[in-house]
Amino acid sequence: MNPRNRRILFSLAVLVWSAVLLYFYGSGRINKYLAPDFRIISFAGGLGLAVLGLFNLFTAGQNAGGCCGDHGGGEEAHDHESGDMHPLTAVLLMIVPVVLSVAWTKDEYSVAALSRKGLYDAPSAVSSPFLASSLPALTREEIEKSHRKTPDGFLEFNLMELFFSSGDREMQGLLDGLKVETEGRWMDEKVRNPHGSRKRLYRLFVTCCAADSRAIPIILEFGKTPPELPENGWVKVAGTMRFPLEEGVIQPVLTVDRALAAEPPYEESFMRNK
Amino acid sequence: MSPDSQQDFALAFLSILFEGVPFILLGTLISGFIDIYLPPGIMDRFLPRNKFFAVLTAGLLGAVFPVCECAVVPVIRRLVKKGLPVSCALTYMLAAPIVNPITALSTWKAFQGQGAAMMTSSRLLLGFLIAVAVGIIVSKLSLASVLKPSLVESLEKDQAKSDHDHSGCGHDHSHDEPSEENRLVAAFRSAMKDFVDVAVYFAIGVSITALFNTGIAPGAQWLDGLAKDPTAAPAALMALAFILSLCSTSDAFIAATLDKFSWGAKLAFLTFGPMMDVKLLFLYQTVLRKRFIVLLAVGLFLAIGGISIYWQQLVFAAK
Repeated sequence: MNPRNRRILFSLAVLVWSAVLLYFYGSGRINKYLAPDFRIISFAGGLGLAVLGLFNLFTAGQNAGGCCGDHGGGEEAHDHESGDMHPLTAVLLMIVPVVLSVAWTKDEYSVAALSRKGLYDAPSAVSSPFLASSLPALTREEIEKSHRKTPDGFLEFNLMELFFSSGDREMQGLLDGLKVETEGRWMDEKVRNPHGSRKRLYRLFVTCCAADSRAIPIILEFGKTPPELPENGWVKVAGTMRFPLEEGVIQPVLTVDRALAAEPPYEESFMRNK
Repeated sequence: MSPDSQQDFALAFLSILFEGVPFILLGTLISGFIDIYLPPGIMDRFLPRNKFFAVLTAGLLGAVFPVCECAVVPVIRRLVKKGLPVSCALTYMLAAPIVNPITALSTWKAFQGQGAAMMTSSRLLLGFLIAVAVGIIVSKLSLASVLKPSLVESLEKDQAKSDHDHSGCGHDHSHDEPSEENRLVAAFRSAMKDFVDVAVYFAIGVSITALFNTGIAPGAQWLDGLAKDPTAAPAALMALAFILSLCSTSDAFIAATLDKFSWGAKLAFLTFGPMMDVKLLFLYQTVLRKRFIVLLAVGLFLAIGGISIYWQQLVFAAK
């Protein structure tokens, strides 16, 4: 391929990648993919790619001279620019998976992938040093001081606090029987649900990017048929926290008094250092 | 692929891509400017003449020039072309993603409350020792058995050209110095070419990683059953590191959550991953022979696995 055409082709491929990065950052959709500290790096990467692509696009026909006066637009490619494979193949391999992914993505995982990422794992099977820092203070008074109370008397907890409390006997003692409100995504309960009276509430915890995310779930017990709410939609639930032993594993179970559809929070996933 | 699988693949693929691309760009910009602005052979001046000490020094260069494993491959490709001995280049390539301040800080931070100092120092030391050992072995091998044929050919052409230019053959060797503008254009062209080369393999590697990460690829479940086996656990976590292809600056945050596994297994995960994973398998093909990559992968797997098992018994016996 003519070096000038190859430069134009490569520039366009680089600009496609740049456009995808900048679009996801600009639209805010990147929040579903990366932890906060990586978002600005990704934005900088998108800008850098734009500079690289545009600079090479506008200078594609220029004779560069360079280190040895052999960077012109002739038929024979100089070694600084010759590639490992046909330029068209390279560009297709670069572009096709990105374009397909942009077309396919719904910015969230299916239930099957969530199951693989711990949606139905027991809490004791998952713990983390940096998650432990989010646990509340160790007396009932301090818990009440550090959590806001709703008008109807429920303490506002984040889901991660409730989830990891089941791995700490002291916290279980303090939270057992406490009236709490929390928010998360609404899912069917697929294990230990013989009467169909349970649902599952989860949020994702992201370390760096969505690929390393883990589901953080608790069980919702209604004692009757749960209300109809959109699967995987955001809900606010309030009720009484319990930690029963089920099949040899302590489970965080919220006996629900009310469950309502809610707006998603600004950060839908829990993030490292947040 | 079902619509659910497409959606899962896309989310995992794009998230890894967004995370890794800026680091690849940084590496290829550095490599492009090295290509045009760094005179051939200059790296030799920074390294000791003695081969052994040169390899040792190369193992520590990451502390001065910190790059992750995505960025290091294009950089070392250019450095080899600029005269850096292949043994030193491979030592730098394997060590730099681990023996650098960013990785040290993230490992220390992630392992707070889990022997952070011991895990961080163990990771850096093992990464350095393994990289130096590979460098020493490579210094005994021929270029043709390590580098891909096109790169060897290119190096030989450059060498022949250099010999010709300076052989005193009688005709005029004075070159017109290119203008600064032309050098900048050449540097950006070189950077773009390197970026496309690496991006192609990165896209393939990330695609495969996303398939395993979301359980679309078959055989993704077997890892979980191996956590309690002292020999199989490090092997399982090295396999996991290979599949996940995480960045060395962030993989410690994943390792710290794998609490079913021993510290030795986590050490294997943290050392093997930055040296060999699915995406690197493809990136390495821009520099190295396929046969050498396979031997390197097997050697790293056995050496890191063996040392991690011994390390677990020796240092982490309390766990």
